[in-house]
Amino acid sequence: MRFRTLALVFAAASSVLTPLTSTAADPLKIGMVAPLTGPGAESGRFQMNGAKLAVEQINKSGGVLGRPLELVVEDDQTTNPGAVLAFSRLAGDASIPAFVGSIRSTQVHAMAPDILKTGKPVMIGGTDPQLTKLGNPWLFRFRPNDSYSARVIADFGVNVLKLKKWAIVHSTDAFGTNGMKNLTEALQKLGATTVLTQGYTNNSQDFTPVALAVKQSGAEVMGTYMTFEPDQGIFAKQLRQLGVTISWVGSPTTVTTTALKLAGPALYGSYAVVDFNRDSSPAAKAFAALYETTYKSTPDVFSSWTYDAMTVLARAINTAKSVEPEAIRKAILATRDFAGAEGTFNFDQNGDGLHGYNIVRNDNGTIVFDKHVEFRD
Amino acid sequence: MGIALQLLFTGLGVGSIYALVALGFVLIYRATNVVNFAQGDFAMLGAFSMVVLCIDLGWPYWLGIVLTIITMALFGALFNLGVYYPLRHRTFLPVIISTIGASILLENGVLAAYGPRPQSLPGVFASQGFSIGPVFFDSQYLTILAVTVFGVALQYLFFERTLLGKKLQAVSQDKEMASLLGIPVAFMIALTFVYSATLGGLAGILVAPILFVSVQMGASIALKAFAASIIGGFGDVTGAIVGGLALGVIETFGAAYISVPYKDGFAFLVLFVFLLIRPQGIFGERVAEKA
Repeated sequence: MRFRTLALVFAAASSVLTPLTSTAADPLKIGMVAPLTGPGAESGRFQMNGAKLAVEQINKSGGVLGRPLELVVEDDQTTNPGAVLAFSRLAGDASIPAFVGSIRSTQVHAMAPDILKTGKPVMIGGTDPQLTKLGNPWLFRFRPNDSYSARVIADFGVNVLKLKKWAIVHSTDAFGTNGMKNLTEALQKLGATTVLTQGYTNNSQDFTPVALAVKQSGAEVMGTYMTFEPDQGIFAKQLRQLGVTISWVGSPTTVTTTALKLAGPALYGSYAVVDFNRDSSPAAKAFAALYETTYKSTPDVFSSWTYDAMTVLARAINTAKSVEPEAIRKAILATRDFAGAEGTFNFDQNGDGLHGYNIVRNDNGTIVFDKHVEFRD
Repeated sequence: MGIALQLLFTGLGVGSIYALVALGFVLIYRATNVVNFAQGDFAMLGAFSMVVLCIDLGWPYWLGIVLTIITMALFGALFNLGVYYPLRHRTFLPVIISTIGASILLENGVLAAYGPRPQSLPGVFASQGFSIGPVFFDSQYLTILAVTVFGVALQYLFFERTLLGKKLQAVSQDKEMASLLGIPVAFMIALTFVYSATLGGLAGILVAPILFVSVQMGASIALKAFAASIIGGFGDVTGAIVGGLALGVIETFGAAYISVPYKDGFAFLVLFVFLLIRPQGIFGERVAEKA
């Protein structure tokens, strides 16, 4: 009995002492919140692949502060409570100085209060513009936010395609609703009219009412903010079946590998804004080549943002020469002209790293780079 | 007019998917007095089996269907042995929890084995469908409607005109009495699971070309199918069909004429009204507590 008590005390003491006795070669842990199960599990794998690839590259070139990086992943189950739980589990580990995730705005909103309490930097991919204006200094965005995607969609449709009568179709989640608001605003500024604004809930089994509404609206062009690929696929197919052939400029989901496969010919000829396209820059090309040799599949936006997030984070910790949250924060915000897979990172004081988007076209199933639009304001 | 007809066709198509899955719910409920929460996952398994056989292995479509149905029948027997049989003498609660557990296991099992990427499966017919006037008839929805009608007719004949069907009915009405009459109750229940799993698998094969094949495809259909079977009258075969079709039509029209985002809301509003005013459903009979 006494021996067991002694052993317990010893075990407890050693677990408390471990951080103090860690040597330089001990891995530096970075927490990651990603959807490994649930409707977003598909994107979760891409996100993990991107982050792991960056970790491998970083460790090959000497790691961070002389220590190798180690990724600790917690499943968010593609739900908000899941994300909060996953983050709190990671935040419980005091040796983790920074975190990556999530790409879903609604989840970042859910985690934000805990992130503020934890007081450590979190790299996010959610594109709701509000996220970096919450007064939360610990959120750093590695994708251009939706105010840019909406401006690029509107600008391209109105000024390049010369189409003025718009229909907007959007998911009713945070991503879709904010996208819709920003697009409506951007179109107004350009003098275009929105003849239909149609929301739908995620995982709808049928889009006939939506497709009919678009058909009846008399719109010349359609802007969409859809969250999940199966929804996008069902909608695209039913739209074409009902004879709707108007121009389509969509959010990044329109050109993910899965959306292309599910929707097939129904998406031919559509345009989309994407933050990642392999032909948009040499850094993007290099990342795509590396991803393909490692995973034997094509990378998409889900993998590029985690790759950039890990790379910029590691760079910031090395520059700061410290794992103190405030030092890392300052180093991330000081990042200028860093060529990542997603684009050139210039962090503003809100924590937004990117300020532009690429326009691509679905040319009979092949994604063709059209142009990059960068905003200075 | 054209729009209303289009909505009616789509509503019936969607409704027949709910009806097919609701049928599986009802059959198992009748045999065991338990709601099988893994019913939607039977559809998911059927769909994945088709993807493996016809897409990954490249076997002919008809062979895929035959093998999938055989696989699902075997799976139904296995499901009965693993999920229901060990708990058959317990109250309904442990069995329900057991089916919920099975559902989680199946979804995550397929996720682990096949990965999270949604798959597409071509329809039975090469053509997507045809237009008559302003109405587009999706060939897959037509197939589903036809199979549902055919399946219901076959099921009616089986339950009302064959000895085996009557034995199954006897078991669902009173297990003790059936057992006293020499009907092998456990075997009959196993048979019900086999049939339900096959039906679920068939639903999966049929909806896969429309909804795509993903791990959570079954769960979203099952929820609506469950509502449909309550509206129709839980435990009633005709009720499941009528409830399913009604739900499909109501939510499609509600989405088109009132609000798309509240589409799911209409389905559950109808369910709520029924639970409040007519809890036994359209065809259900008010059941008195057994003495």
